[in-house]
Amino acid sequence: MTVPLSDVATAVLSTTLQLSPFYLFGGMGEIVSEKSGVANIGLEGIMLMSLVTTFIVDYETGNPWLALLASLGTAVVIGAVFAFFSIQARLDQIAVGLAIYLFGLGFSLIVFNIAYPSGLTPNYVSLPPIFAGWGTVPVIGTILLKQNVMAYLSIVLVVLTSLFLGRTSLGLRVRAVGENPKAADNMGVNVTKVRFLATLFGALMFGVAGFYFAGNFVSGFQTNIIAGKGFIVLAMIYFANWKPYPTLFAALSFNMVYALQNEYISIAGSTVASVSTLFNMLPYVFLLALIPVFGRKARAPKFLLKPYRKG
Amino acid sequence: MRATAFNALAVGLGILAGLAVVVYAGGNIGVALSSLFLDPIKSSTGIQQTFVLFVMFYTMALGVGLALKAGLWNIGAQGQFLAGTVMVFVAYVYLKFLPWPILYVAMILGATIGGLLWITVPTILRVKFGANEIVVTILLNVVAINFGFYMLSGPIKSPGTALGFPITTQLPALFQIPNIIGSIPITYAVPATIAIGVILYFLVERTPFRVKANTVGESTETARYAGISIPRVMTITMLTAGALAGLAGATYMMGYRYELDIGSFSTNYGLLAIIVALVGRKHMLGIGVAAFFFAYITFGAESMAVATNVNSVVVFAMEGVMMIGILMGNYLNERRKAA
Repeated sequence: MTVPLSDVATAVLSTTLQLSPFYLFGGMGEIVSEKSGVANIGLEGIMLMSLVTTFIVDYETGNPWLALLASLGTAVVIGAVFAFFSIQARLDQIAVGLAIYLFGLGFSLIVFNIAYPSGLTPNYVSLPPIFAGWGTVPVIGTILLKQNVMAYLSIVLVVLTSLFLGRTSLGLRVRAVGENPKAADNMGVNVTKVRFLATLFGALMFGVAGFYFAGNFVSGFQTNIIAGKGFIVLAMIYFANWKPYPTLFAALSFNMVYALQNEYISIAGSTVASVSTLFNMLPYVFLLALIPVFGRKARAPKFLLKPYRKG
Repeated sequence: MRATAFNALAVGLGILAGLAVVVYAGGNIGVALSSLFLDPIKSSTGIQQTFVLFVMFYTMALGVGLALKAGLWNIGAQGQFLAGTVMVFVAYVYLKFLPWPILYVAMILGATIGGLLWITVPTILRVKFGANEIVVTILLNVVAINFGFYMLSGPIKSPGTALGFPITTQLPALFQIPNIIGSIPITYAVPATIAIGVILYFLVERTPFRVKANTVGESTETARYAGISIPRVMTITMLTAGALAGLAGATYMMGYRYELDIGSFSTNYGLLAIIVALVGRKHMLGIGVAAFFFAYITFGAESMAVATNVNSVVVFAMEGVMMIGILMGNYLNERRKAA
């Protein structure tokens, strides 16, 4: 049985567009955070906590918007803890990030188990596609217009992040405290405050990413359900040299490779079952292969990972 | 002394966090406390598991700590460890024609080489291209899991089990690391690991290498000025870290699990090893003390979780809290010293 090429293309592109926003929300959050000099490698822990919050609130209220709101609340609380320890107390950012990750990894499942001891949950109510009526129209309807509103917002976010960092005075201050906090301080910029804001914005975006994960990646919660996808964001923004548009490119191409191998496995079926996990490695190997190409140019913000002490 | 007090406080906080969960989930606090503190020494299973964890933590954290001295974050110990576990069975399945003692050594060496190969990519990318090792080692953790799945579903899968049931054959007694004294479940892996720690202590802490590595870690500019070969220091510390994590894969398989299945993929020992290295302050002997402590607490907390019907992932949450507390203690302590 042969599958028409157009069907394959539709499936691949539609999967790419469905999965990429998760990486875009995470990526924009991490870019702003790292531009200010604070790398939050606890992002997956925040995403896990936001994801479990999303599921519980959605199950209980049936309203995905309330779930989004709650997941943002969770993210900002954990983000504030991270910011306090890494910026205010000047502890090692990587170490605090790992602690946040471990905490999220463990605590998310604990919360879920306390909420649903039997593991049985109501059905997840997802956001509807915003152009529901177009679902059967070829190409436009089946690829572009069937996503939910968050997917389109993620593209808007990329544009806004680029404008924010490049064109606004607060954006300039964010970059300044990451490149040369001393000079920024001398110019009257409150380094601690700007870093706090940038880090909290990052955490909020991880919250949105956690929210987006529900429904688009999985329909229920399990331990370690994000399985490293949050960490992949760190790799993407690295290849993108901390720039929003190249991050969009990295996210789309990574997910396109993912969608291609996924589609190939599902079409080829049992003939490749034994090597299907090798294909699963492809998107990551693809990212790795990009390092010698793009990673050479990559230049981290000069004071990334370095705490700032006034005076 | 003050540092110890702070650390004890931090650990107390972590334990409180765990107990809070237990109480909230309706568990008995007496049962929780007794399993947390006594289970690791009460039963033969407890002793066995505590020492297995000690060996895992110490072996991997030595490597993580060594790389950290040179300012390099090996977040990928878990991936290198998995590569090691896989290579034990690659050697066992494909070199089976070798006589027993040689094959035994080949399995351990194979695991070590597996870990070494797994860290070669980030090492080359770091040294030759300046690529960030955190990013690359994290990526390779994900690749390692997929690679392990593939190996389990074909090349090293047990021929006896059904299709789609990914597990290796069990290593026969000849290929298991034996207990030192009869029925006490402490294997030769324990003294061997301590010996490695002591050897590294003399090779690293007691030679100019320590200063070299620390200089590279603190400022590459100073290191360059002092004429230290940065690529050399980075390569040595990274490759050693990978080899040690791979070796941990061998002791885990040959000294405890005896067969590889997907359960080993979600162990997270590699991440916990980073905490152990930090708590041990990157010191080759200090890491040993930290490793034993975390082994004790990890098994105790897992045991507490089982006894009170809380999921054992509570351990991660507790250790996350402890880690922040310990870092905070170190920070306050140093600030006091500086003042």
